[in-house]
Amino acid sequence: MSTAEFEGKTATLEANLGQRTPEALIEMESRELSLWFGSRKILEGVSIKFPRNTVTALIGPSGCGKSSYIRTLNRLHELIPSASLAGEVLYEGNDIYAPEIDPVSIRLKIGMVFQKPNPFPSMTIRGNVLSGLKLSGMKRPNHDEIVEETLTKAGLWKEVKDRLDHAAGDLSGGQAQRLVIARALAVQPSVLLMDEPCSALDPASTLKVEETIAALSKTMTIIIVTHNMQQAVRVSDNTAFFLAAENEPGHVVEQGPTTEIFSNPQDERTLDYVNGRFG
Amino acid sequence: MSQHTITYQHSGVRVEEVKKQSPLRPWANRTAKFKLVTALAALIPLFMIALVFAFTEIPGPIVVVVIYLPLQILSAVIAAFLVGGKNAAPDAVIIVLAIGATLLSIIIVVSILYTIVVRGFEALSVSFLSQNNEYISPPTPLGYGGIAHALLGTIIIVGIAMLISVPIGIATAVYITEVKGKGANAVRFFVQAESGVPSVVAGLFILTVFILSGAITQSAFAGALAYFILMLPTVARTSEEVLKLIPDDLRTGALALGSTRARTVMRVVLPAARTGIITATILGIARVMGETAPLLLTALTNDKTVWNPFGEPIASLPTFIFFNVSLPFPAAVSRAWGAALVLMVFVGIVFTAARYFGARKFVQS
Repeated sequence: MSTAEFEGKTATLEANLGQRTPEALIEMESRELSLWFGSRKILEGVSIKFPRNTVTALIGPSGCGKSSYIRTLNRLHELIPSASLAGEVLYEGNDIYAPEIDPVSIRLKIGMVFQKPNPFPSMTIRGNVLSGLKLSGMKRPNHDEIVEETLTKAGLWKEVKDRLDHAAGDLSGGQAQRLVIARALAVQPSVLLMDEPCSALDPASTLKVEETIAALSKTMTIIIVTHNMQQAVRVSDNTAFFLAAENEPGHVVEQGPTTEIFSNPQDERTLDYVNGRFG
Repeated sequence: MSQHTITYQHSGVRVEEVKKQSPLRPWANRTAKFKLVTALAALIPLFMIALVFAFTEIPGPIVVVVIYLPLQILSAVIAAFLVGGKNAAPDAVIIVLAIGATLLSIIIVVSILYTIVVRGFEALSVSFLSQNNEYISPPTPLGYGGIAHALLGTIIIVGIAMLISVPIGIATAVYITEVKGKGANAVRFFVQAESGVPSVVAGLFILTVFILSGAITQSAFAGALAYFILMLPTVARTSEEVLKLIPDDLRTGALALGSTRARTVMRVVLPAARTGIITATILGIARVMGETAPLLLTALTNDKTVWNPFGEPIASLPTFIFFNVSLPFPAAVSRAWGAALVLMVFVGIVFTAARYFGARKFVQS
């Protein structure tokens, strides 16, 4: 068993024991994070720990701030002119919002896959996979190997290996989503944020993306926003349930190992939500 | 026509039969009444204005606008009412007006093209396209001398103007939409104001500021500067609209990969907007191609072929047309029409080429 695998197993084990994870195994965490758009507070006091090489699902009804939260984790939140925040986001123990930190370096380490597949239409399939290297100025040799490796990891290699030089715009929605996953992997992030990556996909593509997530979680920390309860159960180790009351900012009602959240939730609202009684 | 096998149960016995089917458009079938009423609605007004033409001397355009159009609307409304009831009547008015407006614009364009082609065609010859005016005078009959120097001049002037205004125009649009700097609104306002500058004022500005001050002489470059003032707002405004249409998903997608803002713009946003930016360039060229007034002040004209964009006055198609069409010699007027035809064809070629290259699929590997 390799060290990475061992660490992964340990992390999962620890996580399943109820968040009693040693600090060293925590890759990312947010501490008392609150978000605003203008004067409207949308999220209050969110503290979540993301252990290394685990999958954490963020669930909750629409409008409770999950997507905004995940975007603060790689500093995309700040692109919205009216955005502001309070609290801390730690990556490997360091505050990513510290003044000396370059957001570009954070986004290289913490990749993201969006709800809508967004391959670059002016590039080929191959060009899309390698676009992260060009856009970030990262030097990695053996581009052909990178293309094959990342597309294989994303579960797309077999479908596109004969048409790598075709325009990326010709791919179906599910293929495009796996292409952008491959694109995110090419810059070798250690954390991957996924904002409802399957909401625009059919069941077969969804299954493939979920298999991809399972394979990636051996070497990566994955944080996934999903509206699909079954998906959260299938792919995640830990789950955090977000909820916003009317005209109030969202907050985390309950978090913990996914099995606990879904089989034995402590809060009545969590029970209602995971059983599909609202949301 | 396709052969179609139909299987069905009939009194407990399976029956297979082959039925021939042909494609039909049941919604296009019209009743005889509909056909008759429509034909009458179209023919009666035509017949009536034929009578007006035959027995009065009212000028044609007035007959068409004042008599035919209202008559046609009236007959269409009546016909629609007879066939489709009172809900169909307003539709008929809109349809007649829309067809009328379309026909009117087509007639205007076709009659302009027709006049230019017919009058310009008699001047066309190999020498007309290959020679300059150095060794002829305006009364010289057709067959000697040509407009090659003016065509070359237009290409040089528009080319230089394009080289200056396209990069600056795109950069302006990038500042407004991508950089979103503090001055974005002010820049947008001034670019918009610039698009209202009359072309002769652009020429006057270059004349007073650059030529009379002795900085440059009247030349292709001076003309290109005047054209630049006119082209810039068109290129910048159109590029801005195009960049606004690029989805934000692409920008955040690039930034999430650790891209800098500059690389996001250069490698993702601008390539995605390529077709639109080519359109912006075409519109900019179209804006200036036939502008005469600024060149009269900045580039003048010349009978010789001039290659040097600096230093001496240069001929161009618009100024050639302007000077020759007002001369009292039939040959000179003919040359002006010929030059107009060449200018038109040249614009057509530029547009077609730009459309072709703009529409071609283009991907970076």
